[in-house]
Amino acid sequence: MIKNFTAAMLSGLLVLFFVSPGLAHFGVVIPSDDIVTQGENRNIELQVKFIHPHEGHYMEMEKPRQFGVFIAGKKIELTSTLKKQSGHSSDQDQDFSFWQTDYQIRRPGDYSFYLEPTPYWEPAEDKYIVHYTKVCVNAFGLESSWDAPLGLETEIIPLTRPYGLWQGNLFSGQVLVKGKPVPYAEIEVEYLNEKAEQGRLNAPSDPFVTQVVKADVQGVFHYAMPKSGWWGFAALSEADWKLQYKEVDKAVEIGAVYWVYATELK
Amino acid sequence: MALLLGLLVVSPALAHKVNLFAYVEGGTIYTESYFPDGRPVTAGQVEIRDAADQLLVSGTTNAQGLYECPIPQVAELQIHIIASMGHRNHFTLSMAEIEAGL
Repeated sequence: MIKNFTAAMLSGLLVLFFVSPGLAHFGVVIPSDDIVTQGENRNIELQVKFIHPHEGHYMEMEKPRQFGVFIAGKKIELTSTLKKQSGHSSDQDQDFSFWQTDYQIRRPGDYSFYLEPTPYWEPAEDKYIVHYTKVCVNAFGLESSWDAPLGLETEIIPLTRPYGLWQGNLFSGQVLVKGKPVPYAEIEVEYLNEKAEQGRLNAPSDPFVTQVVKADVQGVFHYAMPKSGWWGFAALSEADWKLQYKEVDKAVEIGAVYWVYATELK
Repeated sequence: MALLLGLLVVSPALAHKVNLFAYVEGGTIYTESYFPDGRPVTAGQVEIRDAADQLLVSGTTNAQGLYECPIPQVAELQIHIIASMGHRNHFTLSMAEIEAGL
């Protein structure tokens, strides 16, 4: 029994050791509501994190370089409103920083929130990671600009309207770097277990944790979301610029991340 | 081909859901009526009714889909938009919103 237990512990450790570097990092921007209708709370709370969405593991997040909202053709800077919070998953024994703010919806339209984080140094991969992350909140039925490019270094342009989606719906998007489509971009897809409303999504084996799809020659990809909740799409590219770590040039992974909410079919 | 034509003809009508948004500022009720894609509901009939569905004021939206009028009564108000072909919707302004905009 004890032998078995030790063996189990050991294999667990080994699994952790081998799997950890492969865990998918995701920039996260999750609003308290994705569709605001009359009579509903117009105050949107936003959580800004850097985590492994499936496992729920937090990573330390410095104050973002830029956080804002695009509405009616204008960008509104919200970086200074971010408040530092801390949290961790149930199997992490220390707290990590994340960021939180509140935004008051006043007018009809699409509110595209966007994040440019401070570059995150990932020693396990010997590179920096910068995930440009977006999420869209619709207010009062005016579907004004959910497909507008925001001019980020890299970004996903939704081809499916990114709200009012059922579980099982296909989400399609186009991956851009510097405004140009990325042929055959690789997109990692993960479910945000932290916000699972109908029970966690359990993965029978590792390939289920991070789903992978490739874009076509125009940078267009598709994924059908099998469960209600928040789904994150991260299209990863290597920047054509470097950042220094201890005075040595290091590669920078730039990710275009988009979050959408799939609603349970009842 | 017939199916294609059918799609072409039908598609624009799918966007005919009308929306109404209203707010109060400086004693005036401002209303905006629009289709989901942002086109204004022009020449739509706006009706402001009290909680007992009594008509208090009515008017017509302009080319931008806008209609405004002084607050007719300090109470919860129902604002209705009636567009062509019977497309309609309504928006509730609470007593608190009216009072905040006096």
